[in-house]
Amino acid sequence: MPQFADAAFAGIAMTPQGDLSDRDPADVYWEVVQEALADAGLTLADVDGLIGDAPPGVGIRSALPGGAMADLVGHPLRFQASTSIGAAGQSAGIGLAALAIAHGLASVVVIPTVAAGGGSGYLGADRNAAVAHMARLGSPYEYVWGTTRVADYAVIARRHMYEYGTTEEQLAEIAVAQRYGATLNPLSVNGKRGEITIDDVMASRPIAEPLKLLDCCLVNQGAGCIVMTSATDAAAQGRHHPVLLLGWGEGQSYLDPCKAPSLASFEGGRLAADTAFGLAGVGRDEIDVAGISDHFTIGVIVELEAAGFCATGEGGSFVEGQATRIGGRLPVNTDGGFLSNSHAGSCGVFTVIELVRQLRHEAGPRQVEQASLAYAHGVGGVSQVQYGAVLGRA
Amino acid sequence: MAAYEKFVPEIPPLHEPFWAALRQHRVELQQCRRCGQFRFVPSELCPCGSPEYSWAPIAGTGEVYTYTIVHRAPTPAYQQDAPYVIAHVTMDEGPRMISNVVGCDPSDVFIGMPVEIVFDDVTPELTLYRFRPRS
Repeated sequence: MPQFADAAFAGIAMTPQGDLSDRDPADVYWEVVQEALADAGLTLADVDGLIGDAPPGVGIRSALPGGAMADLVGHPLRFQASTSIGAAGQSAGIGLAALAIAHGLASVVVIPTVAAGGGSGYLGADRNAAVAHMARLGSPYEYVWGTTRVADYAVIARRHMYEYGTTEEQLAEIAVAQRYGATLNPLSVNGKRGEITIDDVMASRPIAEPLKLLDCCLVNQGAGCIVMTSATDAAAQGRHHPVLLLGWGEGQSYLDPCKAPSLASFEGGRLAADTAFGLAGVGRDEIDVAGISDHFTIGVIVELEAAGFCATGEGGSFVEGQATRIGGRLPVNTDGGFLSNSHAGSCGVFTVIELVRQLRHEAGPRQVEQASLAYAHGVGGVSQVQYGAVLGRA
Repeated sequence: MAAYEKFVPEIPPLHEPFWAALRQHRVELQQCRRCGQFRFVPSELCPCGSPEYSWAPIAGTGEVYTYTIVHRAPTPAYQQDAPYVIAHVTMDEGPRMISNVVGCDPSDVFIGMPVEIVFDDVTPELTLYRFRPRS
């Protein structure tokens, strides 16, 4: 098997998800980073690489995160990088981290995401403020009309239904399958609300037709962190069965919906997946479990198609009969996903964390039997920029 | 006129002719001087590679490419209008444009519906374009 990079997921951690508005974001940051390092058998003294941001602070900390991190851990870092894939930005950073490790630029890279504290906007706990903030992220030729992130995906759903005959019930299958996973995930936001049915999704109130409340992701806070090292170092720690990054790729396409050739399928996703699977030397039919960005149910369908798990237009029938539920043909977002687990900060981090748990065989009641290969697919914005990654149990 | 409490567009210099034409109840888009293609939203390059363009009028007619009916609006000012339609419309000249569809019940909108642009002077400085059904 061709090796993309000598890099492994050495440590993972996540806090309980929900409302962390009474917590200092910096405290939560260090808590989750140190917990992930401990999971890898490491400490802050070992960190020499960072994906994304240092904890919030004064001055130009946010512009020079590597330097800020050096101030705080008391030694210089050798590597810092950020990606621009929106809510999947931090998780897409696993590729850069792996390349840095494989080429000797860093040996221990932390990839945190934190949404906590009393601020408003995307990282805050105030739903109305978050919705208004997200609405303004599009261009003036979108937000003046009263678009929302839900509406942005609703027009994709409507076009997909028109072109391919996808149904609202097929969208609902995704929400039902993922809620089941969340009920088995004590850290999830929605697990305690219990299972739901297709009828429950169909009866939930319309938000932006055809999407209804239960087609939509959570608005919540929380934190998570991934630690990457070389596969050799991870194996030497011997704390968990090593999980490797076998392939990774990006696809960056069409920011403006008016410029996208189609709003029913997305070239960026295909590019990302083809690169990732090609580098990994793995076929789609070998994947045991997947984590697919699910800001809205329709997202899972168009990304499964883009990633090549089914033909374009066949995503609706692919997910029928609870095919993406744990125990189904291709379990997807077994932790509950953004719909039912967590949609906090750069929430793709949680997608990768769950796949690492699955490949370690540490997913408890959610465990996909004998899982050895996993696929992560993340999107930023409204499906314009995407990444794909193939993970393998060593 | 009551204060306009909805989102007001940022208008960088490149975009100003589009909004100036709207104030005169005309729709003008960039047309590439090399390949003749119309483009929207305003941008500095045609995909053919040419930065040379003219602002040229379009007919203002097109067909609904996709749409949604919004029930949960981004702010209270928009919520007053809910449920309202946001449609992506393929204009006869090629580009897609987004706006509300007004002048009909939201449930009457469908993909392929013929629509035309109407103008809405929401403030003395700002004119918006919306769509209405075209028979």
